[in-house]
Amino acid sequence: MKIGVLALQGAFAEHIATLEKLKTEAIPVRLPHQLEGLDGLIIPGGESTTITKLMVHYKLKNKIIELAKQGFPIFGTCAGMIVLAGELSSAGGVKPTGVMDIKVNRNAFGRQVESFESEISIPAIGKKPITGVFIRAPLIESVGKEVEVLARLSDGTIVAARQGNLLVCSFHPELTDDTRFHQYFLDIVRGKI
Amino acid sequence: MKSTAPVNCRSVNFAAGGVATPADAALMMQLGADGVFVGSGIFKSSKPSVMAKAIVKATTHYTDAKIIAKVSKNLGEAMPGLSAKQIPPDQLMAGRGW
Repeated sequence: MKIGVLALQGAFAEHIATLEKLKTEAIPVRLPHQLEGLDGLIIPGGESTTITKLMVHYKLKNKIIELAKQGFPIFGTCAGMIVLAGELSSAGGVKPTGVMDIKVNRNAFGRQVESFESEISIPAIGKKPITGVFIRAPLIESVGKEVEVLARLSDGTIVAARQGNLLVCSFHPELTDDTRFHQYFLDIVRGKI
Repeated sequence: MKSTAPVNCRSVNFAAGGVATPADAALMMQLGADGVFVGSGIFKSSKPSVMAKAIVKATTHYTDAKIIAKVSKNLGEAMPGLSAKQIPPDQLMAGRGW
């Protein structure tokens, strides 16, 4: 199984390391032809303005939209969730791909100093909570009826969701040693769940 | 340079200082930096916006010589360097060196 990691900017090296820990071949994707032959794609956290601009410039955006509509598995973390969003409530010039029926608020928790960690319960990956690392994180304000909410903060804020082949989370699972959320994505890719 | 620590157990390393062209930024990445900070290299160039975009693209595609060459065209003047020899003695911070 080959998983691409969009490597335009952001935490792509950490995602590649996590995939390798799960004995999965990880391919950095910077140009459209590198999307060929992949079984899934991770869009990492980083700076959503930079990532979306480079996606347009290097003709990756339309190709990724096309793949998403064909049922190709895509996992967006933090800025990657912004990229997949159907709508942004605070776009600031960022144009998302619009493929997932979620409304996302960028920088929802405030500026860099408001970044935090929180134990999050995600029943889909097991009983033990996962440590969510939220770095200038976005949140999901609302979801469409095709979207399954996977995790919330204690105040009810939605921080992880799935819509068929599309998986998103506000936090950075690639920055901890816990590989269960990546494993969950790989299970989606394998068609197990 | 080859990092021996697992990538998500180490400090992120950014290169900064004296990066004046897209090729400089790509070189930093090839030497193992995780990212590049550029201040004066953009603001002291003759076309800051054009230079900034080119440096971003060269950093992303740091192993792709064709893209680095392409983005390096028509950038105007890069940040000028200043040789220590050109600085009058009374303005030098130290008399050592050359």
